[in-house]
Amino acid sequence: MGLLSIIRKIKRKEKEIRILMVGLDNSGKTTIVLRINGEDTSVVSPTLGFNIKTLTYQKYTLNIWDVGGQKTIRSYWRNYFEQTDGLVWVVDSSDLRRLDDCKMELDNLLKEERLSGSSLLILANKQDIKGSLTPEEIGKVLNLEAMDRTRHWNIVGCSAYTGEGLLEGFDWLVQDIASRIYVLD
Amino acid sequence: MENEEEAEALSSNPTREALDLDPALQKKRQTMLERLSNRHQTRTDSSLTRRSAESDSASSPSFESTSTFLSRFSNSKSSIESQLAQCRLSDPTQLKPQLDQISSSISDLEKLVAENSYFLPSYEVRSSLKAVSDLRQSLENLSAELLPKKKFSFRNKGPKKDPIAEPKEKEKEKEPEKSGFRVPASPGIWNKKGETLVHNFKGSEVGEFTISDLDSCEVRLMGSVRALFVHRLRNCKVYTGPVTGSVLIEGVEGCVLVMASHQIRIHNAKRCDFYLRVRSRPIIEDSCEVRFAPYCLSYKGIEEELRETTLDEETENWANVDDFLWLRAVQSPNWSVLPENERVGLIDISNSEEVRPLPVLLVSMCAWSKR
Repeated sequence: MGLLSIIRKIKRKEKEIRILMVGLDNSGKTTIVLRINGEDTSVVSPTLGFNIKTLTYQKYTLNIWDVGGQKTIRSYWRNYFEQTDGLVWVVDSSDLRRLDDCKMELDNLLKEERLSGSSLLILANKQDIKGSLTPEEIGKVLNLEAMDRTRHWNIVGCSAYTGEGLLEGFDWLVQDIASRIYVLD
Repeated sequence: MENEEEAEALSSNPTREALDLDPALQKKRQTMLERLSNRHQTRTDSSLTRRSAESDSASSPSFESTSTFLSRFSNSKSSIESQLAQCRLSDPTQLKPQLDQISSSISDLEKLVAENSYFLPSYEVRSSLKAVSDLRQSLENLSAELLPKKKFSFRNKGPKKDPIAEPKEKEKEKEPEKSGFRVPASPGIWNKKGETLVHNFKGSEVGEFTISDLDSCEVRLMGSVRALFVHRLRNCKVYTGPVTGSVLIEGVEGCVLVMASHQIRIHNAKRCDFYLRVRSRPIIEDSCEVRFAPYCLSYKGIEEELRETTLDEETENWANVDDFLWLRAVQSPNWSVLPENERVGLIDISNSEEVRPLPVLLVSMCAWSKR
Protein backbone atom coordinates (compact mmCIF):
# COMPACT_ATOMS: atom_id res chain seq x y z
CA MET A 1 0.00 0.00 0.00
CA GLY A 2 1.48 3.28 -1.04
CA LEU A 3 1.78 6.29 1.19
CA LEU A 4 -0.77 8.18 -0.86
CA SER A 5 -3.43 5.57 -0.37
CA ILE A 6 -2.77 5.52 3.38
CA ILE A 7 -3.20 9.27 3.54
CA ARG A 8 -6.36 9.05 1.51
CA LYS A 9 -7.74 6.45 3.87
CA ILE A 10 -7.07 8.58 6.90
CA LYS A 11 -8.67 11.60 5.26
CA ARG A 12 -11.66 9.54 4.27
CA LYS A 13 -12.14 8.36 7.81
CA GLU A 14 -12.17 11.86 9.26
CA LYS A 15 -14.37 13.50 6.64
CA GLU A 16 -14.04 16.81 8.35
CA ILE A 17 -14.71 20.04 6.55
CA ARG A 18 -13.86 23.43 7.90
CA ILE A 19 -16.11 26.26 6.81
CA LEU A 20 -15.60 29.96 7.47
CA MET A 21 -18.65 32.23 7.43
CA VAL A 22 -17.91 35.86 6.79
CA GLY A 23 -19.67 38.93 5.46
CA LEU A 24 -20.64 42.42 6.56
CA ASP A 25 -22.39 42.92 9.86
CA ASN A 26 -26.17 42.49 9.73
CA SER A 27 -25.95 40.04 6.81
CA GLY A 28 -27.34 37.15 8.86
CA LYS A 29 -24.37 34.83 9.33
CA THR A 30 -25.24 33.70 12.83
CA THR A 31 -28.90 33.26 11.97
CA ILE A 32 -27.96 31.07 9.00
CA VAL A 33 -25.76 28.85 11.15
CA LEU A 34 -28.47 28.54 13.79
CA ARG A 35 -31.07 27.81 11.13
CA ILE A 36 -29.15 24.99 9.45
CA ASN A 37 -28.44 23.56 12.87
CA GLY A 38 -32.15 23.64 13.66
CA GLU A 39 -31.85 26.05 16.56
CA ASP A 40 -34.04 28.91 17.71
CA THR A 41 -33.36 32.06 15.70
CA SER A 42 -35.72 34.43 17.42
CA VAL A 43 -33.05 35.99 19.64
CA VAL A 44 -29.73 36.56 17.91
CA SER A 45 -27.37 39.22 19.18
CA PRO A 46 -24.74 40.75 16.91
CA THR A 47 -21.67 38.56 17.17
CA LEU A 48 -18.91 39.99 19.29
CA GLY A 49 -16.10 37.62 18.42
CA PHE A 50 -17.03 34.28 16.89
CA ASN A 51 -19.10 31.12 17.28
CA ILE A 52 -18.13 27.59 16.30
CA LYS A 53 -20.76 25.02 15.40
CA THR A 54 -19.96 21.42 14.67
CA LEU A 55 -22.64 19.57 12.84
CA THR A 56 -23.03 16.44 10.82
CA TYR A 57 -24.08 17.02 7.28
CA GLN A 58 -24.59 14.00 5.05
CA LYS A 59 -21.55 11.88 5.92
CA TYR A 60 -19.32 14.81 6.74
CA THR A 61 -18.54 16.69 9.90
CA LEU A 62 -18.76 20.40 9.32
CA ASN A 63 -16.90 22.77 11.58
CA ILE A 64 -18.51 26.10 10.93
CA TRP A 65 -16.71 29.20 12.12
CA ASP A 66 -19.10 32.11 12.28
CA VAL A 67 -17.05 35.26 12.69
CA GLY A 68 -18.53 38.65 13.60
CA GLY A 69 -18.79 41.14 10.77
CA GLN A 70 -18.69 44.53 12.51
CA LYS A 71 -16.16 46.86 11.03
CA THR A 72 -13.91 46.92 14.07
CA ILE A 73 -13.53 43.15 14.14
CA ARG A 74 -13.18 42.48 10.40
CA SER A 75 -9.43 42.80 10.73
CA TYR A 76 -9.50 39.66 12.87
CA TRP A 77 -11.00 37.55 10.08
CA ARG A 78 -7.56 36.61 8.89
CA ASN A 79 -6.93 34.74 12.12
CA TYR A 80 -9.42 32.16 10.88
CA PHE A 81 -8.13 31.66 7.34
CA GLU A 82 -5.81 28.76 8.04
CA GLN A 83 -7.02 25.40 6.74
CA THR A 84 -10.34 26.72 5.57
CA ASP A 85 -11.91 24.32 3.06
CA GLY A 86 -14.98 26.37 2.31
CA LEU A 87 -15.72 30.04 2.48
CA VAL A 88 -19.28 31.29 2.85
CA TRP A 89 -19.73 34.95 2.01
CA VAL A 90 -23.09 36.18 3.25
CA VAL A 91 -24.71 39.20 1.63
CA ASP A 92 -27.66 41.17 2.96
CA SER A 93 -29.56 41.45 -0.33
CA SER A 94 -31.79 44.18 1.10
CA ASP A 95 -28.91 46.45 2.11
CA LEU A 96 -28.42 48.26 -1.17
CA ARG A 97 -26.42 51.09 0.25
CA ARG A 98 -23.55 48.96 1.47
CA LEU A 99 -23.14 46.73 -1.59
CA ASP A 100 -20.00 48.70 -2.46
CA ASP A 101 -18.57 47.91 0.97
CA CYS A 102 -19.60 44.34 0.49
CA LYS A 103 -17.79 44.06 -2.82
CA MET A 104 -14.70 45.71 -1.45
CA GLU A 105 -14.48 43.41 1.55
CA LEU A 106 -15.04 40.35 -0.61
CA ASP A 107 -12.37 41.42 -3.08
CA ASN A 108 -9.94 41.91 -0.21
CA LEU A 109 -10.75 38.50 1.16
CA LEU A 110 -10.21 36.74 -2.14
CA LYS A 111 -6.74 38.20 -2.46
CA GLU A 112 -5.77 36.22 0.60
CA GLU A 113 -3.40 33.48 -0.42
CA ARG A 114 -4.39 31.19 2.43
CA LEU A 115 -7.93 31.13 1.05
CA SER A 116 -6.95 30.60 -2.55
CA GLY A 117 -7.76 26.91 -2.51
CA SER A 118 -11.10 27.11 -0.75
CA SER A 119 -14.47 26.84 -2.44
CA LEU A 120 -16.57 29.98 -2.26
CA LEU A 121 -20.32 29.97 -1.63
CA ILE A 122 -22.03 33.33 -1.82
CA LEU A 123 -25.35 33.41 -0.02
CA ALA A 124 -27.62 36.23 -1.17
CA ASN A 125 -29.52 36.27 2.10
CA LYS A 126 -32.81 37.92 3.06
CA GLN A 127 -34.53 36.98 -0.18
CA ASP A 128 -37.79 36.94 1.81
CA ILE A 129 -37.63 40.71 2.27
CA LYS A 130 -39.53 42.60 -0.37
CA GLY A 131 -37.24 44.82 -2.44
CA SER A 132 -34.19 42.59 -2.05
CA LEU A 133 -31.92 42.11 -5.02
CA THR A 134 -32.01 38.72 -6.70
CA PRO A 135 -28.91 36.48 -6.61
CA GLU A 136 -28.30 37.33 -10.28
CA GLU A 137 -28.30 41.04 -9.49
CA ILE A 138 -26.03 40.53 -6.50
CA GLY A 139 -23.71 38.51 -8.73
CA LYS A 140 -23.56 41.38 -11.17
CA VAL A 141 -22.89 43.98 -8.49
CA LEU A 142 -20.12 41.86 -6.99
CA ASN A 143 -18.77 41.23 -10.49
CA LEU A 144 -18.40 37.53 -9.78
CA GLU A 145 -17.80 36.63 -13.41
CA ALA A 146 -14.48 38.43 -13.22
CA MET A 147 -13.25 36.15 -10.49
CA ASP A 148 -10.07 34.14 -10.83
CA ARG A 149 -10.82 31.11 -13.02
CA THR A 150 -9.29 28.63 -10.63
CA ARG A 151 -11.80 29.48 -7.90
CA HIS A 152 -14.73 27.15 -7.38
CA TRP A 153 -17.67 29.39 -6.59
CA ASN A 154 -21.44 29.51 -6.60
CA ILE A 155 -24.09 32.03 -5.64
CA VAL A 156 -27.37 30.97 -4.11
CA GLY A 157 -30.30 33.06 -2.97
CA CYS A 158 -31.53 32.18 0.50
CA SER A 159 -33.47 33.29 3.52
CA ALA A 160 -32.25 32.51 6.99
CA TYR A 161 -35.70 33.63 8.14
CA THR A 162 -37.61 30.96 6.18
CA GLY A 163 -34.70 28.54 5.67
CA GLU A 164 -35.16 28.61 1.92
CA GLY A 165 -32.06 28.05 -0.22
CA LEU A 166 -29.75 27.16 2.66
CA LEU A 167 -29.69 23.44 1.96
CA GLU A 168 -29.11 24.01 -1.72
CA GLY A 169 -26.16 26.26 -0.95
CA PHE A 170 -24.55 23.98 1.60
CA ASP A 171 -25.17 20.91 -0.56
CA TRP A 172 -23.16 22.51 -3.31
CA LEU A 173 -20.41 23.62 -0.96
CA VAL A 174 -20.00 20.24 0.72
CA GLN A 175 -20.09 18.35 -2.58
CA ASP A 176 -17.55 20.67 -4.11
CA ILE A 177 -15.17 20.41 -1.19
CA ALA A 178 -15.65 16.67 -0.87
CA SER A 179 -14.87 16.03 -4.50
CA ARG A 180 -11.77 18.14 -4.15
CA ILE A 181 -10.39 16.81 -0.90
CA TYR A 182 -11.80 13.37 -0.44
CA VAL A 183 -11.78 10.70 -3.02
CA LEU A 184 -15.40 9.91 -3.69
CA ASP A 185 -16.26 6.34 -2.80
CA MET B 1 19.32 -7.65 -60.46
CA GLU B 2 16.36 -6.58 -62.50
CA ASN B 3 17.91 -3.20 -62.95
CA GLU B 4 20.87 -4.77 -64.63
CA GLU B 5 18.56 -6.64 -66.88
CA GLU B 6 16.82 -3.41 -67.79
CA ALA B 7 20.12 -1.71 -68.34
CA GLU B 8 21.05 -4.53 -70.61
CA ALA B 9 17.79 -4.18 -72.45
CA LEU B 10 18.31 -0.45 -72.86
CA SER B 11 21.93 -0.76 -73.84
CA SER B 12 20.85 -3.12 -76.56
CA ASN B 13 19.15 -0.17 -78.26
CA PRO B 14 21.83 0.39 -80.91
CA THR B 15 21.28 -3.11 -82.24
CA ARG B 16 17.52 -2.66 -82.07
CA GLU B 17 17.07 -1.38 -85.61
CA ALA B 18 18.82 -4.44 -86.94
CA LEU B 19 16.47 -6.66 -85.07
CA ASP B 20 13.41 -4.62 -85.93
CA LEU B 21 12.29 -6.89 -88.64
CA ASP B 22 12.31 -9.98 -86.50
CA PRO B 23 8.74 -10.28 -85.24
CA ALA B 24 9.69 -12.57 -82.38
CA LEU B 25 12.28 -10.14 -81.18
CA GLN B 26 9.89 -7.26 -81.66
CA LYS B 27 7.34 -8.96 -79.49
CA LYS B 28 9.93 -9.60 -76.89
CA ARG B 29 10.92 -5.97 -76.97
CA GLN B 30 7.30 -4.92 -76.58
CA THR B 31 6.86 -6.93 -73.41
CA MET B 32 10.13 -5.62 -72.12
CA LEU B 33 8.95 -2.02 -72.59
CA GLU B 34 5.72 -2.82 -70.81
CA ARG B 35 7.59 -4.37 -67.94
CA LEU B 36 9.80 -1.32 -67.75
CA SER B 37 6.98 1.16 -67.63
CA ASN B 38 5.15 -0.96 -65.07
CA ARG B 39 8.23 -1.10 -62.92
CA HIS B 40 8.66 2.61 -63.19
CA GLN B 41 5.07 3.13 -62.20
CA THR B 42 5.32 0.96 -59.11
CA ARG B 43 8.58 2.57 -58.18
CA THR B 44 7.15 6.08 -58.26
CA ASP B 45 4.01 4.88 -56.50
CA SER B 46 5.88 3.25 -53.69
CA SER B 47 8.14 6.23 -53.23
CA LEU B 48 5.05 8.44 -53.04
CA THR B 49 3.44 6.26 -50.41
CA ARG B 50 6.70 6.12 -48.52
CA ARG B 51 6.87 9.87 -48.50
CA SER B 52 3.28 10.29 -47.36
CA ALA B 53 3.83 7.67 -44.68
CA GLU B 54 6.71 9.74 -43.48
CA SER B 55 4.61 12.87 -43.23
CA ASP B 56 1.91 10.88 -41.40
CA SER B 57 4.40 9.86 -38.83
CA ALA B 58 4.95 13.52 -38.07
CA SER B 59 1.52 13.76 -36.48
CA SER B 60 1.66 10.43 -34.65
CA PRO B 61 5.32 10.10 -34.19
CA SER B 62 6.95 6.80 -33.57
CA PHE B 63 9.94 6.12 -35.75
CA GLU B 64 11.74 3.61 -33.63
CA SER B 65 14.96 5.17 -34.73
CA THR B 66 16.99 7.40 -32.51
CA SER B 67 18.46 9.46 -35.31
CA THR B 68 15.07 10.18 -36.92
CA PHE B 69 13.74 11.19 -33.55
CA LEU B 70 16.69 13.42 -32.86
CA SER B 71 16.50 15.21 -36.16
CA ARG B 72 12.80 15.71 -35.77
CA PHE B 73 13.22 16.91 -32.22
CA SER B 74 15.90 19.40 -33.09
CA ASN B 75 13.78 20.70 -35.97
CA SER B 76 10.80 21.47 -33.73
CA LYS B 77 13.09 22.82 -31.08
CA SER B 78 14.73 25.31 -33.38
CA SER B 79 11.38 26.32 -34.84
CA ILE B 80 10.06 27.03 -31.33
CA GLU B 81 13.19 28.98 -30.53
CA SER B 82 12.80 31.12 -33.60
CA GLN B 83 9.13 31.72 -32.72
CA LEU B 84 10.18 32.82 -29.27
CA ALA B 85 12.64 35.23 -30.76
CA GLN B 86 9.97 36.60 -33.09
CA CYS B 87 7.64 37.32 -30.18
CA ARG B 88 9.84 40.13 -29.02
CA LEU B 89 9.29 41.97 -32.26
CA SER B 90 5.61 41.34 -32.71
CA ASP B 91 2.57 43.44 -31.99
CA PRO B 92 1.65 43.34 -28.28
CA THR B 93 -2.03 42.68 -29.02
CA GLN B 94 -1.08 39.52 -30.91
CA LEU B 95 1.26 38.41 -28.20
CA LYS B 96 -1.15 36.43 -26.09
CA PRO B 97 -2.33 34.02 -28.83
CA GLN B 98 1.23 33.76 -30.06
CA LEU B 99 2.54 32.75 -26.67
CA ASP B 100 -0.32 30.29 -26.28
CA GLN B 101 0.61 28.81 -29.62
CA ILE B 102 4.23 28.41 -28.57
CA SER B 103 3.19 26.87 -25.31
CA SER B 104 1.13 24.28 -27.14
CA SER B 105 4.01 23.48 -29.49
CA ILE B 106 6.22 22.94 -26.47
CA SER B 107 3.62 20.58 -25.09
CA ASP B 108 3.58 18.74 -28.42
CA LEU B 109 7.32 18.44 -28.27
CA GLU B 110 7.13 17.05 -24.78
CA LYS B 111 4.54 14.57 -25.97
CA LEU B 112 6.85 13.56 -28.79
CA VAL B 113 9.58 12.77 -26.29
CA ALA B 114 7.15 10.83 -24.13
CA GLU B 115 5.83 8.76 -27.02
CA ASN B 116 9.29 7.79 -28.18
CA SER B 117 10.88 7.34 -24.82
CA TYR B 118 10.41 3.57 -24.91
CA PHE B 119 13.09 3.01 -27.52
CA LEU B 120 15.36 5.99 -26.88
CA PRO B 121 18.55 5.62 -24.87
CA SER B 122 18.02 7.09 -21.45
CA TYR B 123 20.61 9.77 -22.08
CA GLU B 124 18.59 11.07 -25.05
CA VAL B 125 15.37 11.03 -23.03
CA ARG B 126 16.99 13.01 -20.28
CA SER B 127 18.60 15.57 -22.53
CA SER B 128 15.40 15.99 -24.58
CA LEU B 129 13.32 16.54 -21.46
CA LYS B 130 15.89 19.02 -20.24
CA ALA B 131 15.64 20.86 -23.55
CA VAL B 132 11.83 20.92 -23.26
CA SER B 133 11.94 22.32 -19.77
CA ASP B 134 14.50 24.92 -20.86
CA LEU B 135 12.18 25.97 -23.65
CA ARG B 136 9.30 26.21 -21.25
CA GLN B 137 11.39 28.27 -18.89
CA SER B 138 12.39 30.70 -21.57
CA LEU B 139 8.75 30.97 -22.64
CA GLU B 140 7.80 31.83 -19.07
CA ASN B 141 10.56 34.36 -18.81
CA LEU B 142 9.50 35.90 -22.05
CA SER B 143 5.83 36.11 -21.14
CA ALA B 144 6.69 37.51 -17.72
CA GLU B 145 8.75 40.11 -19.47
CA LEU B 146 6.32 41.00 -22.24
CA LEU B 147 3.04 40.36 -20.44
CA PRO B 148 4.05 41.04 -16.85
CA LYS B 149 0.67 40.34 -15.31
CA LYS B 150 0.44 36.90 -16.82
CA LYS B 151 2.73 35.09 -14.51
CA PHE B 152 2.63 37.27 -11.43
CA SER B 153 -1.02 38.16 -11.60
CA PHE B 154 -1.67 36.96 -8.07
CA ARG B 155 0.78 39.23 -6.39
CA ASN B 156 0.70 42.15 -8.71
CA LYS B 157 -3.05 42.47 -8.68
CA GLY B 158 -3.10 43.53 -5.06
CA PRO B 159 -0.77 46.44 -4.69
CA LYS B 160 -0.37 47.46 -8.29
CA LYS B 161 -3.44 46.98 -10.37
CA ASP B 162 -6.19 47.59 -7.86
CA PRO B 163 -5.89 51.23 -6.93
CA ILE B 164 -5.57 52.34 -10.52
CA ALA B 165 -7.47 50.05 -12.79
CA GLU B 166 -10.04 48.18 -10.77
CA PRO B 167 -11.84 50.92 -8.88
CA LYS B 168 -12.38 52.69 -12.16
CA GLU B 169 -13.86 49.60 -13.74
CA LYS B 170 -15.93 49.00 -10.69
CA GLU B 171 -17.36 52.47 -10.66
CA LYS B 172 -18.09 52.40 -14.32
CA GLU B 173 -19.98 49.20 -13.94
CA LYS B 174 -21.68 50.02 -10.72
CA GLU B 175 -23.03 53.41 -11.48
CA PRO B 176 -25.63 52.34 -13.98
CA GLU B 177 -26.53 49.38 -11.79
CA LYS B 178 -27.01 51.48 -8.73
CA SER B 179 -29.25 53.97 -10.42
CA GLY B 180 -31.02 51.06 -12.10
CA PHE B 181 -31.75 49.12 -8.92
CA ARG B 182 -31.78 51.44 -6.05
CA VAL B 183 -34.29 54.12 -6.81
CA PRO B 184 -37.25 51.88 -7.56
CA ALA B 185 -36.20 49.07 -5.26
CA SER B 186 -35.84 50.77 -1.93
CA PRO B 187 -38.74 52.66 -0.43
CA GLY B 188 -37.72 55.37 1.97
CA ILE B 189 -37.29 59.01 2.86
CA TRP B 190 -34.32 60.99 1.51
CA ASN B 191 -32.87 64.48 1.61
CA LYS B 192 -35.35 66.48 3.67
CA LYS B 193 -34.89 69.43 5.91
CA GLY B 194 -37.18 70.71 8.65
CA GLU B 195 -40.17 68.51 7.79
CA THR B 196 -42.48 66.15 9.59
CA LEU B 197 -42.73 62.92 7.63
CA VAL B 198 -45.45 60.41 8.46
CA HIS B 199 -45.81 56.92 6.98
CA ASN B 200 -48.40 54.39 7.94
CA PHE B 201 -47.60 50.90 6.70
CA LYS B 202 -50.63 49.30 8.27
CA GLY B 203 -52.02 46.57 6.01
CA SER B 204 -49.32 46.83 3.40
CA GLU B 205 -46.37 44.52 3.12
CA VAL B 206 -43.21 46.55 3.48
CA GLY B 207 -39.80 45.00 3.04
CA GLU B 208 -36.89 47.22 3.74
CA PHE B 209 -37.26 50.94 4.42
CA THR B 210 -34.54 53.57 4.38
CA ILE B 211 -34.34 56.91 6.16
CA SER B 212 -31.39 58.83 4.82
CA ASP B 213 -29.85 62.32 4.75
CA LEU B 214 -32.33 64.23 6.88
CA ASP B 215 -31.74 67.41 8.77
CA SER B 216 -34.00 68.65 11.58
CA CYS B 217 -36.89 66.38 10.63
CA GLU B 218 -39.39 64.35 12.53
CA VAL B 219 -40.14 60.88 11.13
CA ARG B 220 -43.10 58.83 12.26
CA LEU B 221 -43.43 55.29 10.94
CA MET B 222 -46.50 53.32 11.99
CA GLY B 223 -47.03 49.67 11.20
CA SER B 224 -44.25 47.14 10.92
CA VAL B 225 -41.46 46.81 8.39
CA ARG B 226 -39.02 43.94 7.84
CA ALA B 227 -35.76 45.88 7.86
CA LEU B 228 -34.90 49.49 8.57
CA PHE B 229 -31.82 51.41 7.48
CA VAL B 230 -31.07 54.79 9.05
CA HIS B 231 -28.28 56.79 7.51
CA ARG B 232 -26.88 60.30 8.06
CA LEU B 233 -29.39 62.15 10.20
CA ARG B 234 -28.81 65.40 12.06
CA ASN B 235 -31.01 66.77 14.79
CA CYS B 236 -33.89 64.47 13.91
CA LYS B 237 -36.55 62.63 15.82
CA VAL B 238 -37.43 59.17 14.58
CA TYR B 239 -40.35 57.16 15.94
CA THR B 240 -40.95 53.71 14.53
CA GLY B 241 -43.29 50.81 15.07
CA PRO B 242 -41.91 47.29 15.26
CA VAL B 243 -39.18 46.17 12.86
CA THR B 244 -39.38 42.40 12.37
CA GLY B 245 -35.78 41.97 11.29
CA SER B 246 -33.00 44.34 12.07
CA VAL B 247 -32.27 48.04 12.27
CA LEU B 248 -28.97 49.37 10.98
CA ILE B 249 -28.10 52.90 11.99
CA GLU B 250 -25.08 54.71 10.63
CA GLY B 251 -24.02 58.30 11.09
CA VAL B 252 -26.55 60.02 13.36
CA GLU B 253 -25.89 63.12 15.40
CA GLY B 254 -28.00 65.01 17.90
CA CYS B 255 -30.99 62.72 17.32
CA VAL B 256 -33.67 61.00 19.34
CA LEU B 257 -34.63 57.57 18.05
CA VAL B 258 -37.49 55.49 19.41
CA MET B 259 -37.55 52.01 17.91
CA ALA B 260 -38.49 48.38 18.51
CA SER B 261 -36.68 45.60 16.68
CA HIS B 262 -35.17 42.16 16.91
CA GLN B 263 -31.67 43.47 16.28
CA ILE B 264 -30.25 46.98 16.45
CA ARG B 265 -26.79 48.03 15.32
CA ILE B 266 -25.60 51.59 15.82
CA HIS B 267 -22.53 52.96 14.03
CA ASN B 268 -21.02 56.45 14.19
CA ALA B 269 -23.61 57.93 16.50
CA LYS B 270 -22.87 61.06 18.45
CA ARG B 271 -24.92 62.76 21.13
CA CYS B 272 -28.02 60.67 20.56
CA ASP B 273 -30.72 59.24 22.77
CA PHE B 274 -32.13 55.81 21.93
CA TYR B 275 -35.39 54.54 23.35
CA LEU B 276 -35.32 50.88 22.44
CA ARG B 277 -37.07 47.60 22.73
CA VAL B 278 -34.79 44.84 21.42
CA ARG B 279 -34.96 41.06 21.53
CA SER B 280 -31.17 40.83 21.43
CA ARG B 281 -28.37 43.01 22.70
CA PRO B 282 -28.03 46.34 20.87
CA ILE B 283 -24.52 47.20 19.77
CA ILE B 284 -22.66 50.43 19.20
CA GLU B 285 -19.50 50.95 17.18
CA ASP B 286 -17.51 54.16 16.69
CA SER B 287 -20.06 56.03 18.76
CA CYS B 288 -19.89 58.39 21.68
CA GLU B 289 -22.19 60.25 24.05
CA VAL B 290 -25.07 57.95 23.30
CA ARG B 291 -27.70 57.21 25.92
CA PHE B 292 -30.26 54.45 26.20
CA ALA B 293 -33.73 54.17 27.65
CA PRO B 294 -36.75 51.85 27.23
CA TYR B 295 -39.17 52.10 24.31
CA CYS B 296 -41.94 54.60 24.84
CA LEU B 297 -44.05 54.83 21.69
CA SER B 298 -47.78 54.61 21.37
CA TYR B 299 -50.24 54.77 18.50
CA LYS B 300 -53.48 53.06 17.70
CA GLY B 301 -52.86 49.35 17.15
CA ILE B 302 -49.23 49.29 18.28
CA GLU B 303 -49.89 46.71 21.01
CA GLU B 304 -51.21 44.24 18.47
CA GLU B 305 -48.32 44.89 16.09
CA LEU B 306 -45.79 44.37 18.85
CA ARG B 307 -47.49 41.12 19.79
CA GLU B 308 -47.49 39.87 16.22
CA THR B 309 -43.80 40.55 15.90
CA THR B 310 -43.01 39.10 19.34
CA LEU B 311 -41.80 42.45 20.55
CA ASP B 312 -44.53 42.90 23.16
CA GLU B 313 -42.39 41.70 26.02
CA GLU B 314 -39.93 44.08 27.70
CA THR B 315 -36.63 42.23 27.73
CA GLU B 316 -34.63 45.02 29.41
CA ASN B 317 -32.09 44.51 26.66
CA TRP B 318 -32.11 48.24 25.93
CA ALA B 319 -29.58 48.52 28.75
CA ASN B 320 -27.39 45.57 27.62
CA VAL B 321 -25.39 47.49 25.10
CA ASP B 322 -22.26 45.96 23.57
CA ASP B 323 -19.64 48.49 22.55
CA PHE B 324 -17.38 46.96 19.91
CA LEU B 325 -14.70 49.48 20.69
CA TRP B 326 -14.75 48.79 24.39
CA LEU B 327 -14.05 45.13 25.00
CA ARG B 328 -13.39 45.40 28.72
CA ALA B 329 -15.34 44.47 31.77
CA VAL B 330 -15.76 48.03 33.01
CA GLN B 331 -18.55 50.20 31.66
CA SER B 332 -17.83 51.77 28.28
CA PRO B 333 -17.40 55.54 28.40
CA ASN B 334 -19.17 55.84 25.08
CA TRP B 335 -22.69 55.09 26.28
CA SER B 336 -24.82 55.43 29.38
CA VAL B 337 -28.30 54.79 30.65
CA LEU B 338 -30.44 57.87 30.21
CA PRO B 339 -31.43 59.09 33.70
CA GLU B 340 -35.14 58.66 34.32
CA ASN B 341 -35.77 62.31 34.99
CA GLU B 342 -34.35 63.21 31.58
CA ARG B 343 -36.42 60.72 29.62
CA VAL B 344 -39.35 61.82 27.50
CA GLY B 345 -42.63 60.36 28.63
CA LEU B 346 -44.85 58.12 26.51
CA ILE B 347 -44.95 59.48 23.00
CA ASP B 348 -48.27 59.10 21.25
CA ILE B 349 -48.18 59.59 17.51
CA SER B 350 -51.71 58.37 16.73
CA ASN B 351 -52.68 61.89 16.05
CA SER B 352 -50.22 64.36 14.67
CA GLU B 353 -51.48 67.23 16.83
CA GLU B 354 -50.96 65.23 19.97
CA VAL B 355 -47.29 64.56 19.38
CA ARG B 356 -45.24 66.38 21.94
CA PRO B 357 -42.33 68.01 20.21
CA LEU B 358 -39.08 66.73 21.61
CA PRO B 359 -36.59 69.44 22.43
CA VAL B 360 -33.66 68.11 20.43
CA LEU B 361 -31.49 71.05 21.39
CA LEU B 362 -32.20 70.50 25.04
CA VAL B 363 -31.23 66.85 24.72
CA SER B 364 -27.89 67.70 23.25
CA MET B 365 -27.34 70.38 25.86
CA CYS B 366 -28.00 67.83 28.56
CA ALA B 367 -25.47 65.56 27.00
CA TRP B 368 -22.93 68.33 26.94
CA SER B 369 -23.55 69.53 30.48
CA LYS B 370 -23.14 65.99 31.78
CA ARG B 371 -19.60 65.80 30.55
